[in-house]
Amino acid sequence: MLDDILKKFQEAAEHPEALKERYLAEGKQIVLVAPVYTPEEIVHSMGLVPMGAWGGDLQLNQSKRYFPAFICSIVQSILELGMKGAYEGVSALIVPSLCDSLKVLGENWKYAVPSIPFIPMTYPQNRKPEYALEYTLHSYERVIADLQKATGKVFSEKLLRVSLEIYNEHNALMRETVKELAAHPEISAQQRSWIFKSATFLRKEEHSALLKQFLKELKEQKAEGKKLRIVTTGILADAPSLLQILDENGLQIVADDIAAESRQYKTDIEAGNDGLVALAKKHASRDNCSVLYDPLKRRVETLVETAKAVEADGVLMILTKFCDPEEFDYPLIRNACKAAGLPIVEVEVDRQMENYEQAATIIESFKEMMESK
Amino acid sequence: MSCYTMGIDIGSTTSKGVILKDGSEVVSTYLIHAGTGTKGPGTVREELLKSSGLTNEEIAYTVVTGYGRKTYEEADAQLSELSCHAKGSHFLFPEVRTVIDIGGQDAKVMKLDEEGRMTGFLMNDKCAAGTGRFLEVMANILQLDVSQLEEEAARAEEALKISSTCTVFAESEVISQLANGADIPALVKGICRSVASRVGALAKRTGIEEKVCMSGGVAINGGVREALAEELGTEIEYSPLAQLTGALGAAIHAYERATAKERKDG
Repeated sequence: MLDDILKKFQEAAEHPEALKERYLAEGKQIVLVAPVYTPEEIVHSMGLVPMGAWGGDLQLNQSKRYFPAFICSIVQSILELGMKGAYEGVSALIVPSLCDSLKVLGENWKYAVPSIPFIPMTYPQNRKPEYALEYTLHSYERVIADLQKATGKVFSEKLLRVSLEIYNEHNALMRETVKELAAHPEISAQQRSWIFKSATFLRKEEHSALLKQFLKELKEQKAEGKKLRIVTTGILADAPSLLQILDENGLQIVADDIAAESRQYKTDIEAGNDGLVALAKKHASRDNCSVLYDPLKRRVETLVETAKAVEADGVLMILTKFCDPEEFDYPLIRNACKAAGLPIVEVEVDRQMENYEQAATIIESFKEMMESK
Repeated sequence: MSCYTMGIDIGSTTSKGVILKDGSEVVSTYLIHAGTGTKGPGTVREELLKSSGLTNEEIAYTVVTGYGRKTYEEADAQLSELSCHAKGSHFLFPEVRTVIDIGGQDAKVMKLDEEGRMTGFLMNDKCAAGTGRFLEVMANILQLDVSQLEEEAARAEEALKISSTCTVFAESEVISQLANGADIPALVKGICRSVASRVGALAKRTGIEEKVCMSGGVAINGGVREALAEELGTEIEYSPLAQLTGALGAAIHAYERATAKERKDG
């Protein structure tokens, strides 16, 4: 039974194109939401299906007409998929402005994929002061206006409140799932990844329903096996070859600080009458992420505290190649882990990687290092 | 009764082997210039047994390491080359805290604690710059054997500047220098410095803690050793067994496993 549910997560994670066709066949309109922290709730509330656009593992050819080689392969692969027609049928793409590469993606998209409208979501760098909330609210208004234009759908504050509750429930379920998975070494890193990846493609109410079944089954299942416990940190950790290496080396991800994984589900929306204001406050209260401005870099401290709390044997930094925000944080993370006596290792990945031999050696050595500690 | 263990290190360009007696006495060593995917690893085992006069049955435990470890089927266990180089280096130089291993196709820096346990490490990125392959490419252009580079570098009065960023760029630079009639020893010294600069940067990222030693095939090259010592501002320990350090570490790991198994079996 648990396997059946995992299979559903796997299908959604591995075949988003089939899911896209299914939603379109059901008469739904799809809006792509690029990373990180795009206000999906607005899209959802307008009766549209928000589908995550985190790119994919593929050779980059056409996107090279617009991007230099030394830019994040996530944004390159989003454009590549767009130029190759993988997103045909969707109504728009929303790209937030949280890193330089994402800003360039939007501008290039307008010319490279003119059939799918680009909608910018411009966030303020200083997101917490009152004036920043106003700035975010104005950006939401732009997104709403562009969505109405691209899809013909109308925004309603009342429906937004409903969506916010659906997203809050999903957040809570994802957090519960992460906690429960930490107690089950028999669930592989690959299976864990399917749960997160499918969450970006499936409608949240569908994913929540699956999570509820999964949690029920998992709680009834006896935990089996003993593995080394690691915390992962980085932007993305969904490459099957990398996950296979973790599984082959008997490493269990007991918590993560991955932008495409737990960072998405950390912050809830507080109750209030104005849904959009609540949504803006949600963004303002987000923290502990490389793309969110924080001069104190509390992410570093939080990561070490998390690793200690889950009794991790080590920290694995999965560094997306050419991701400046993560590269800036890495020395701080490495030093903090060392000071805390936590073994840490860095593996560099990108969307075009085919040979993981060096990563395999690094991870195997890391395992041996943790074992000998 | 004596306990014989074997360590085999299958690299990208060479295969190495060591037989140890009771985890501390080197009984036999062998090195062949044939790495993974060749008959080299099989030959190493045969030659080790032949020169030691031991039989397969007398080897209590074999650990294989190196780039080709996953396809070698005659070992009891496989371990990463980093763990083996760390173990072997600690055996050779117990006071060493930083190990720099430059192999045929990659470079690694390992930090050790006082008991020889690896506490951190870094590997080079996916580029041949700063590896044995880089030296091979350069030696080919200069129509020299890699083993001649040390002697050539020693004759140099100055070092020409060669890029440490990319092997392909460096190759173009060397060709341009040759076209301009550059002095070969100065060019070779520049090439050694280029490797040292690349690996030195990697070592500095881990934080240099003395003492420092070099292992791996490139350690044989005195030109690179000297340039690296200069780059890091510290002396570099070196053993004639440097190229066999991985295999030696594997044989020590094999001894630890064999004795642990013995204790378990009672």
